[in-house]
Amino acid sequence: MISIQNVSKHYGAFQVLTDCSTEVKKGEVIVVCGPSGSGKSTLIKCVNGLEPFQSGTITVDGISVGDPKTDLPRLRSRVGMVFQHFELFPHMSITDNLTIAQIKVLGRGRDAATDKGLKLLDRVGLKAHADKFPGQLSGGQQQRVAIARALAMDPICMLFDEPTSALDPEMINEVLDVMVELAQEGMTMMCVTHEMGFAKKVANRILFMDKGQIVEDDAKDAFFGNPRSERARQFLAKILTH
Amino acid sequence: MYEFDWSSIPGALPFLWEGMKVSLGITACAVLFGIAWGTLLAMARLSSIKPLAWLAAGYVNLFRAIPLVMVLLWFFLIVPQVLRGFFNLDPNTDVRLASALVGFALFEAAYYSEIIRAGIQSVPKGQISAASALGMSYAQAMRLVVLPQAFRNMVPLLLTQAIVLFQDTSLVYVSALADFFGAAYKVGDRDGRLVELLLFAGAVYFLICFAASQAVRHYQKKLNAHAAH
Ligand SMILES: Nc1ncnc2c1ncn2[C@@H]1O[C@H](COP(=O)(O)OP(=O)(O)OP(=O)(O)O)[C@@H](O)[C@H]1O
Ligand SMILES: [Mg+2]
Repeated sequence: MISIQNVSKHYGAFQVLTDCSTEVKKGEVIVVCGPSGSGKSTLIKCVNGLEPFQSGTITVDGISVGDPKTDLPRLRSRVGMVFQHFELFPHMSITDNLTIAQIKVLGRGRDAATDKGLKLLDRVGLKAHADKFPGQLSGGQQQRVAIARALAMDPICMLFDEPTSALDPEMINEVLDVMVELAQEGMTMMCVTHEMGFAKKVANRILFMDKGQIVEDDAKDAFFGNPRSERARQFLAKILTH
Repeated sequence: MYEFDWSSIPGALPFLWEGMKVSLGITACAVLFGIAWGTLLAMARLSSIKPLAWLAAGYVNLFRAIPLVMVLLWFFLIVPQVLRGFFNLDPNTDVRLASALVGFALFEAAYYSEIIRAGIQSVPKGQISAASALGMSYAQAMRLVVLPQAFRNMVPLLLTQAIVLFQDTSLVYVSALADFFGAAYKVGDRDGRLVELLLFAGAVYFLICFAASQAVRHYQKKLNAHAAH
């Protein structure tokens, strides 16, 4: 579904990604972790072309992201993305947030889009909030709306960039629950997160990044059992004691 | 001791009102055009296409470095000629109003574009990312997501600029247009009561602008209270 081959990226002289390669198959859940500044966000944003990269190839569903001939907006409309800071559109009601891209990008009719949006809003447990504005919801609620907004586009896979790290601790689980459910339904997911409980529950593989490189790409049990690199071991020891 | 004599004002009110209509008309046109053209300039300036950004920056810096009265004079003297040449206009067609409007609007657009640029930059980058991630084109992301938020943040500044602009309209009197200030000047000149008429005109400008600024301030308070909740 997602194939990343020898991807490198630099800002001027600063190397953000160095020769990153991995593969996400249909229905797989991949968790990406690593210290701050290791390039996790950059890597995941390369997958839908939000960040350009200088060398290597990324294909999503067989379509090359880096190819200048690729219709990026069209590709992005098929790849859901959830951000650390939710990024709901604050000037629109929750319903409009859920329907705007369906209408303007996919060309769906307003009624069909609203139907779909409200169904997904119900699914994340927020049906009663349809007419509110993002500013009236808690962080956890906003993030659930953001997930529903991405799902409304019928994505073929979902990208998450630290979806719970801006949330108060008591709201983290309501978002993780939605993500776990999504994973169990077979959604292909690439998640940057440090929620190791989530990783243990649903991840197929864990990528560990350090200084722009993927230093571990292990099946879940291997990673938690005995990661090969010293860095990953230290990192795990640190976040698991928190 | 100078003896004030206000008696020429009541009779001149209809004429002055005509002038006020011209002033308000120019203000409205310049605000609308200034915002439209200013938005394009602001987007050009923020564009990743470098030559476009440079052109827009050059335009803005040029107009902001020239006094308005000069721009108006140039447009009064040059643009009508150019228009005549280009469109083969009847020499009797009065293009002064159009000329003054064009010069004025081009000038004010430079100021509007700076306000709008700041407004666009006040919208978090993540909003464009989110819009793009949903498959929106850059133009859609701008139109549907960024500009509505930018304008909402900017409304007080845009209105304040409109008030400044309304005051600036008094300068079109150099183009012999009968705007409010020009009308007051004419009446005063005719009746030998220039001091009274200019004081009166000043008082009217003050009242209108003061009331308008109070309204903007009130609106801004409401906006802040709304944002805080
Ligand atoms: N526009 C940019 N210009 C220069 N350097 C950048 C830019 N964006 C990111 N970087 C650098 O690239 C590196 C990787 O950034 P990235 O955001 O991908 O890290 P991350 O692993 O997601 O970190 P975090 O856990 O803090 O989110 C960082 O060192 C960052 O400073
Ligand atoms: Mg990050």
